[in-house]
Amino acid sequence: MSVASAVAEQVLNGLVVGMVYVLLAAGLSIIFGVMDVINFAHGELFALGAYFAFAIAGPLGGAGFWVALVVAPLLVGVVGMGIERLTVKRLYGRDPLYHILLTFGLVLIINDLITSVWGKSAQPFPVPSVLDQPVALFGFNYSLYNYGIIVFGSALALGTWLLLNRTRFGMIIRAGSEDREMVRTLGIDIDRYYTLTFGFGAALAGVAGIVLGAYQNVSPTMGSSVIIPAFVIVVLGGLGSFRGAVVGGLFVGLVQTFARTYAPFLEGLIVFLLMIAVLVVKPTGLFGTSVGAGDHHDGALLHGSGGGVLSAETRAKLGYAGVGALLVVPLLAEVTGVTYSVTLLEDILIWALFALSLDLVLGYAGLVSLGHTLFYGVGAYASVLTLMHVSPSVFVALVVAVAVCAAIAWGVGYLSIRVSGVFFAMITLGFAELFYNAVFKFDFTGGSDGLFGVDAFYGLAGLGIDPGEFAVPLGPVVLDGGVVQYYFLLAVVVGSYLLARRLIRAPFGSVLQSIRESEERASFIGYDVTAYKRRAFVVSGGLAGLAGGLFAANNGYVAPSFLHWINSGEVIVMTVLGGMGTLYGPMLGAGVFVAAEDVLSSYIDQWQLAIGVLFVLFVIFVPRGLVSLPRTVADHPLFESAVGDRFRDRVGEQAGVTDPEVDRHE
Amino acid sequence: MSDPILRTENLTKEFGKLVAVDDVTLDVERGEFRSLIGPNGAGKTTTFNLLTGALRPTRGTVTFNGENVTALPPHERVRRGLGRSFQITNVFSGLTVRENVRLAAQAAREGGFTPVEEYLRRSDAFDDVNEHTDRVLDRSGLLGRGDEPADVLAYGDKRRLEIAIVLATDPDMVLLDEPTAGMSAEETRATMDLIDEVLSDRTLLLIEHDIDLVMRVSDRITVLHRGEVLAEGTPEAVSEDPEVREAYFGGVEA
Repeated sequence: MSVASAVAEQVLNGLVVGMVYVLLAAGLSIIFGVMDVINFAHGELFALGAYFAFAIAGPLGGAGFWVALVVAPLLVGVVGMGIERLTVKRLYGRDPLYHILLTFGLVLIINDLITSVWGKSAQPFPVPSVLDQPVALFGFNYSLYNYGIIVFGSALALGTWLLLNRTRFGMIIRAGSEDREMVRTLGIDIDRYYTLTFGFGAALAGVAGIVLGAYQNVSPTMGSSVIIPAFVIVVLGGLGSFRGAVVGGLFVGLVQTFARTYAPFLEGLIVFLLMIAVLVVKPTGLFGTSVGAGDHHDGALLHGSGGGVLSAETRAKLGYAGVGALLVVPLLAEVTGVTYSVTLLEDILIWALFALSLDLVLGYAGLVSLGHTLFYGVGAYASVLTLMHVSPSVFVALVVAVAVCAAIAWGVGYLSIRVSGVFFAMITLGFAELFYNAVFKFDFTGGSDGLFGVDAFYGLAGLGIDPGEFAVPLGPVVLDGGVVQYYFLLAVVVGSYLLARRLIRAPFGSVLQSIRESEERASFIGYDVTAYKRRAFVVSGGLAGLAGGLFAANNGYVAPSFLHWINSGEVIVMTVLGGMGTLYGPMLGAGVFVAAEDVLSSYIDQWQLAIGVLFVLFVIFVPRGLVSLPRTVADHPLFESAVGDRFRDRVGEQAGVTDPEVDRHE
Repeated sequence: MSDPILRTENLTKEFGKLVAVDDVTLDVERGEFRSLIGPNGAGKTTTFNLLTGALRPTRGTVTFNGENVTALPPHERVRRGLGRSFQITNVFSGLTVRENVRLAAQAAREGGFTPVEEYLRRSDAFDDVNEHTDRVLDRSGLLGRGDEPADVLAYGDKRRLEIAIVLATDPDMVLLDEPTAGMSAEETRATMDLIDEVLSDRTLLLIEHDIDLVMRVSDRITVLHRGEVLAEGTPEAVSEDPEVREAYFGGVEA
């Protein structure tokens, strides 16, 4: 094959992948543009399309593919409309963060449903025989199906453009994305259009799933593998811009394909580098007109502070009791032989520290960092690398981890904090994915295996404890090195909490709280808002690095999965679950989350589904988190008389209102 | 001799082809109560934003206390003594009244903070900041209400807090952006009295479209029209200026 035709074939391959991206990104972008919803479940709707088609086409044989190509997207559209009606709709008017959380829960639910119905392994989804043949065009053979994708994708994109720009439906949803209230005032039931829009976006994702499923195969991971590139495209092209989605989709498809062939080292990196470069130069993306839809949301982040009916002293006592309990657990575990509980607690402590770090930026500086696992992962790598090459001391390793992460946070913050809201979320996600893909590429990071077999020495310059050789008999049991690690971890986590609390109560923290209340005002009483946010991000990055470094040092390994975006999602969930903006809330959230995951995963197969359902319910009904529960309960009319009395003095006026309904029942 | 605290020279702001502020040269004397008026679209708000630093001019300079502040961001101007109030009351509603004022006092603290103070000492443990806070609360009539959350304050008290926050930044000059917009005559009077009571020893620049109000309170008035300075002088002089009458009253002959 000549060079020219080899390049031509790459171009065609790039366009095929690009078309799939265009369909995905168009739906994502329309949903964002119209409703301000960042739909993480879009990848799962894409996978659902492929599986529905797979299920329909299989039994029908020859013509099955064509039936599936029509019916499956419609089904996905219906699923999309159902999701909008039942869940997404309830969160309009809140900060986009809550949609991120909600759809993150939906990812777990849909993904678990897919694996439980169709299994975990990839399955072939044959292209119809009519299309499964090469045709000779431009002097070389190329699959007819692939040509078909390019033509069909272009037609669908054109149709979508016409729908948006040449129909009444399109006019209404475009008007609705500008000014929801105005459209409502005109007597149009905008809610119905939102449902249709969500369904339409979902159906487009379904089509993309079918097309790619038949190009490759269908697998439960196909959703999570496309969602991040799809986001990159939407951000690159300009959030909410259809033209941006089309150009960005084709561009990313081509760039990925060419990188794979001609610059394999850059594969997986180049897309994120491009996104970061574009955002740094033009924060609105290539075709974004203004900061746009993403920033005119009026919803605030709901933090958990002030939501408790427990007094500060009660909370402090509970805190002491909690730490006291954590102190005796390893001794009890040794006595009873349930050492497994110590491992679980170590996990909880690490995540609690990670969630604490996120709370400083999310709960106090109001920055939604979607890539926080960047710092967790880099901290872990820095810690292991230091232990391997520099010093066996865990102290040195942790100092390096914190310093490296703080420095990276400074750099990322410098580039991204002037860009607000959704863009900050996306750029942090971009950086996290960049590092995630990068660790596979290098020998010094151990590639896809990561680095393992590292021992940490709990001391400095030879003075200290080597957990491998530590053994102290204490009555009937022997305390080993694991106990040393546990107490060290506990001390660091408690110490970090106390440090964070100090920061928040100091002038620095008081300014962060003022920024959370009103950025504009904070700046007009003389505070450099951007600088304060950046500093909070640096502290947060350092603490997240400490969490990652601790985990790696304690367990003696690090792997690329430490940098996977799922961690970023989980830590946000923990923070909100517990109640952000309280410091202790997110730590509590981490405990509940990790424990629930542990219990559920050991008793039921569908534990992801169960956790997903829990999130969804939580985001909708308890957005201020667990720490707000006592008050929510106390304020609820049903509990008013029963529980209300006890809290009356603290809850104040609220409790004074009695519900006649409740009175009659008594 | 004149002693201008704020001076703009050839200040111009273009949005594409639209010239919102056109070659405005302005001198505000230290201690005076100046008003900037003009009909809708005259460029008042754009001028205000150029003065606060929310917008950067296309051409021209802003000089404050003898220093060129044209390129400085809002917080740097505030730190140099150029405060502002908000049209729609903008207080930290989730914090207490005292904390609202304390934050402003903290920002204005002489000499700032050492890193240890900034990051590790309790924010309520600085005697000088606390005293300053108390003085401001006292002067603005909020001393007894320091522990109340700002969002439960009645409308009038919120305005009071708004002004108290501005006062706590210890400004040499305050820019007031239509402080009585949307108020009844009674509320307007109360607000202007409050401004007079609390901020009378500062240089004030009031941006306003209510000509009657401006006539009552100002030492001098600058009239903007289509982005340009149309007239400047005492209320009497301005009200008698034929060009102003033409522009402002839509050509109604006297």
